[in-house]
Amino acid sequence: MFLGLFFAVLAGLLVGLQNIFNAKVNEQAGTWATTALVLGLGFLASMTLGLVFEGIGLFTMDNMKTWHWFSGLIGVGVVVCLVQGTRLLGPTYAIAIVLTSQLGFALLWDSLGWFGLEKIPFTFQQLVGVLVIAGGVIVFKFSGTKEKKEIKQVQKSMKQYSLGR
Amino acid sequence: MRGVIFAFLAGGFITLQGVANSRISQDIGAWQAATVTQLTGFLMALLIVLIVRDGKWKRFKGVRPLYLTGGSFAAVVIYGNIFSIHKIGVTLSIAVILIAQLAITFLVDGRGWFGVMKQKMRLPQFIGIGMMIAGVVILKF
Repeated sequence: MFLGLFFAVLAGLLVGLQNIFNAKVNEQAGTWATTALVLGLGFLASMTLGLVFEGIGLFTMDNMKTWHWFSGLIGVGVVVCLVQGTRLLGPTYAIAIVLTSQLGFALLWDSLGWFGLEKIPFTFQQLVGVLVIAGGVIVFKFSGTKEKKEIKQVQKSMKQYSLGR
Repeated sequence: MRGVIFAFLAGGFITLQGVANSRISQDIGAWQAATVTQLTGFLMALLIVLIVRDGKWKRFKGVRPLYLTGGSFAAVVIYGNIFSIHKIGVTLSIAVILIAQLAITFLVDGRGWFGVMKQKMRLPQFIGIGMMIAGVVILKF
């Protein structure tokens, strides 16, 4: 339990940092070049750490199934949807939906136990927990937007003013 | 509306990715799962770069080298993700990952680290993080 939580926190911290770094690269190099770089480095790092911890055994892939090769394409789906969602909705709104949907799907997955993962029965308590977290995400993400709206309104009225002249 | 659908699907794909990695790791091991999925994802993205041919990748040179290394974190991220899903389930794993992720983003924004524009921390953001942690407590205890 403790180790599970520890690794989840570690993963979350690194994802947060990675997103900040990747956004910087994205500004310059565009979505696809950035995605290729990020996944390429992730591949090299995983292979290196795998070799460190498991040695040559890393390459014994006797139980490899065909569909495993295609699972990496989910990552491409993530990028396309994230980029399009952010472009159409703006980052705050888009990320709030992404995070909420992520939690909803997680709950769905635990309760269905698809893909041979251990089934964790759906309870009302779990639903309340997920809803409170999603509420927190929304409060967190939208707390800064009032200011932006004000700026937009000022811009709008300035535009009208200058057009009116 | 289209934007909402894209964002909704993105969330679904991210969770699916964690679940698929966990499933693959049961067959071939966690490091192997991380290596294989990123190799195929990389090849696909590379193919798209070659098709799009906008030459934007040349601008990697203008990015501070530290920022270019972000992708390598994924090895530990995927390993941690797989490990925690096996130990504590998908819902709790994703919830804790989200909170840690938002907390670090909050910290970086608040301090203005890595050349991010410094933002004031506001009360609603503390309330938001408090609610998320309360949600995890409800989820688990």
